[in-house]
Amino acid sequence: MTSVIGSRVVREDAWGKVFGQAQYPADLNLPGQIYGVVLRSPHSHARILSMDVRKARELPGVAAVLTAADVPRNSHGVLYRDQPVLVAEHIRMVGDPLLAVGAESLELAREAAGLVEIEYEPLPALFDTEEAMRPGASPLHPEVHGLSNVFYHLPVVKGDLNKGWEIADVVVERDYSTQMVDHAFLQPEAVLAHVDARGNLVIQVSTQYPHYDRGEIAHALGIKVSRVQVKTLSIGGSFGGREDISLQLIAAMLAYKTLRPVKMENSREESFYSHCKRHPMSMHYKTGATRQGKLVALEARIVGDAGAYASWSPNILRKAAIHATGPYEIPHLRVDSYAVFTNNPWTGAMRGFGAAQPVLAYESQMDILAQELGLSPLEIRLRNIFRTGSVTATGQLLSGSVGLEECLQKVAPFLRQEEDKE
Amino acid sequence: MEFFQPQNLTEAVERSGLDTCFLAGGTDLVLQLREGKAKPQVLVDLSRVTELKYLTAAGGCLEIGSMLTFAELGGSELARAKANALWLACQSMGSPQIRNQATLGGNLANCSPAADGLPPLLALGALVRLVSRRGEETVPLAELLSRRPLLEVGTLIRGFRIPDQGWKSGFAKLGRRRALAIARLSVALAVEREGNQAKRVRVALGAVGERPFLSEALAEMLQGREMNEAWLEDAAAAAQQVVASALGSRASAPYKRVAVSGVMREAWASLAGGEGTACG
Amino acid sequence: MVELELTVNGKACMLKIEPGERLIDVLRQRLGLTGTKEGCGEGECGACTVIMDGRTINSCVVLAIQAHGRDITTIEGVGNRIRPHPVQRAFVEEGAVQCGYCTPGMVLAAKALLDKNPDPSPQEIGAAMSGNLCRCTGYDKILRAVQRAAREVTGT
Repeated sequence: MTSVIGSRVVREDAWGKVFGQAQYPADLNLPGQIYGVVLRSPHSHARILSMDVRKARELPGVAAVLTAADVPRNSHGVLYRDQPVLVAEHIRMVGDPLLAVGAESLELAREAAGLVEIEYEPLPALFDTEEAMRPGASPLHPEVHGLSNVFYHLPVVKGDLNKGWEIADVVVERDYSTQMVDHAFLQPEAVLAHVDARGNLVIQVSTQYPHYDRGEIAHALGIKVSRVQVKTLSIGGSFGGREDISLQLIAAMLAYKTLRPVKMENSREESFYSHCKRHPMSMHYKTGATRQGKLVALEARIVGDAGAYASWSPNILRKAAIHATGPYEIPHLRVDSYAVFTNNPWTGAMRGFGAAQPVLAYESQMDILAQELGLSPLEIRLRNIFRTGSVTATGQLLSGSVGLEECLQKVAPFLRQEEDKE
Repeated sequence: MEFFQPQNLTEAVERSGLDTCFLAGGTDLVLQLREGKAKPQVLVDLSRVTELKYLTAAGGCLEIGSMLTFAELGGSELARAKANALWLACQSMGSPQIRNQATLGGNLANCSPAADGLPPLLALGALVRLVSRRGEETVPLAELLSRRPLLEVGTLIRGFRIPDQGWKSGFAKLGRRRALAIARLSVALAVEREGNQAKRVRVALGAVGERPFLSEALAEMLQGREMNEAWLEDAAAAAQQVVASALGSRASAPYKRVAVSGVMREAWASLAGGEGTACG
Repeated sequence: MVELELTVNGKACMLKIEPGERLIDVLRQRLGLTGTKEGCGEGECGACTVIMDGRTINSCVVLAIQAHGRDITTIEGVGNRIRPHPVQRAFVEEGAVQCGYCTPGMVLAAKALLDKNPDPSPQEIGAAMSGNLCRCTGYDKILRAVQRAAREVTGT
């Protein structure tokens, strides 16, 4: 039996990567390929009144100009199909895809996209989650998500919060907010799509979800899933940013329409405009502790800005709620976690998946409580951390190994040294 | 677009005109070409014009050819000895790859508000040697930076002349990262010392306005005084005033107004020969 | 169109190109050397690093014609499976490769450094690699790999 633990394992693709042999989608080409570009919305909220693509279609060298009218089933999305492949009328964010051009060269495709005349009616936009949550706020997705912009709410309740406040000697109440973050994976999105000898669509792309992509493409085109093959090439970083489908959907449409191989590459700027971001979260935390430094009560309200489309927001705000206490046992609590639509860039998966943002809130609360109670930051944590046998906010009994105490005890001497210096 | 590669200065100047653009290192121009911000009919590549590539100390001046790269200047002991502020700017501008390609002449021609090379040249009292079909002109950089446009059609930056007055100079910049950062703020400082007196002072600021500039107000306040902690305190405080008035209500103003005092202290601490450490 | 003559990985190349073509496009599209990667297209990330006459440059902000008469090394010219360059072997052995997109540029920046300075200090390594971004954040391993390669190069 070979043992992996304790041995040095060379990743199997490492050699290919140090020689520059690893293939990312932009490295592939097929004879006769055309180049695709997407024209994206400059408005955060608008209605398309008219779109004139005649000049673009007539430009020599243009193989296809696709608009919403060319998409058989114009929706996609990992949890809800609330995102248009190409916007028909209602623009919900800057970067929404409006049309796609396939042409003999990238320059031609860009030129053609520049010839499209679009008339917009700008609409009042919602950029603030509190505003978007207010009753009467204009709903962004009345068809798919109903008449509220709050499309996900998870309450987590444990113990008796009133009792918790009764026994709390110190209460700390603060607001925290985190910012939007882009994954900025080093390899911008790219794809090569073609229709093969058997009439099947072959998509070569860097994706985190080839199996999802396959379904999305088949759905949008109205063809059988078995007619779509998605090959994953080397992936130049993703960090969650390649979970939702991207250019591969549009390249598939162009290839299916023109029967030509279609190559698409995002510039860095297009990459920023097109893929999801990390959720900014607004977090209101009220935490109570006894004089002995034991946490007894927590009331938290977490609002995640989903931007214009749902993507993974429910799962991400669920994770935020589950992790709202941090690795600390709190007997009485109520956490309310919401995902809210706005006209900001859409947000989705990114490293930590909703668990990263509440850290700012709960660890800051711990430090402030420690200060109020005259305890060291380490001490207050040691008095509250999860151990084997702890029950989490959602009622999970941690029956297996919980290494946190062991970990803190190992770093404790160093932390105490730092404290002594101060 | 056509491409022309002159073999000497005369050819370069003669081929230049309304429809041409000089190509130095290209690290800014190539982007502008791609974005359509520059649309010349003819690109005049200066890379073979040897008359633009020199670095000498002659006649009491440091002479720097416009086609010298940041890496070449940053690797020069002569530049370090005679123009410390500029030498320091050459260490942190862009990245190693950019410094290997980008030139000091290109830095001026592009004239970004955050151009790393310009505040040191201003503080060092540099003159710019310009050449066109009408002949040569040598003009103080501070004066050139007040011209709109910076360069007339057909004018080529031949080089820079830094009078060797024995001044001590330093430079510091604030970027969002330690490497590969565009200056959010930069300060170049040059001091003529007499004992511990700052006999004359020049202070230049970058990234606090459309173009880098010399601050007369700072210079006046700082010269003729003993260089001590109070002097440095005043310099830091006065720099805040200068930045505040230069930026007005711009979004970056509250940040840069405060940050400049730290950058000023760092610029002072970087003064050649460790002079700055005495009270920094 | 202009004529471009240059040496790429030891081979003389003659091409007819448009003056506005970038070096990265000529390498990737005309010469098929796709090991050179485009990450940002504006000289920020270093994924497109190649060595020109012994010095690293960003091939996305240099016109191909600027390489006329010059000697270019791309990742394809550095080593191969039979004879990997010490930097390449060290990157593999130190686990300095993750998504791999920054790797060609990193390897070339390290090679250019060691060609000039076979025994660099950690600070010198840091400075030489400062023009290359890694988003998987493997910087420590990358720095360790360059140190390891330096030891191999100098035989210490």
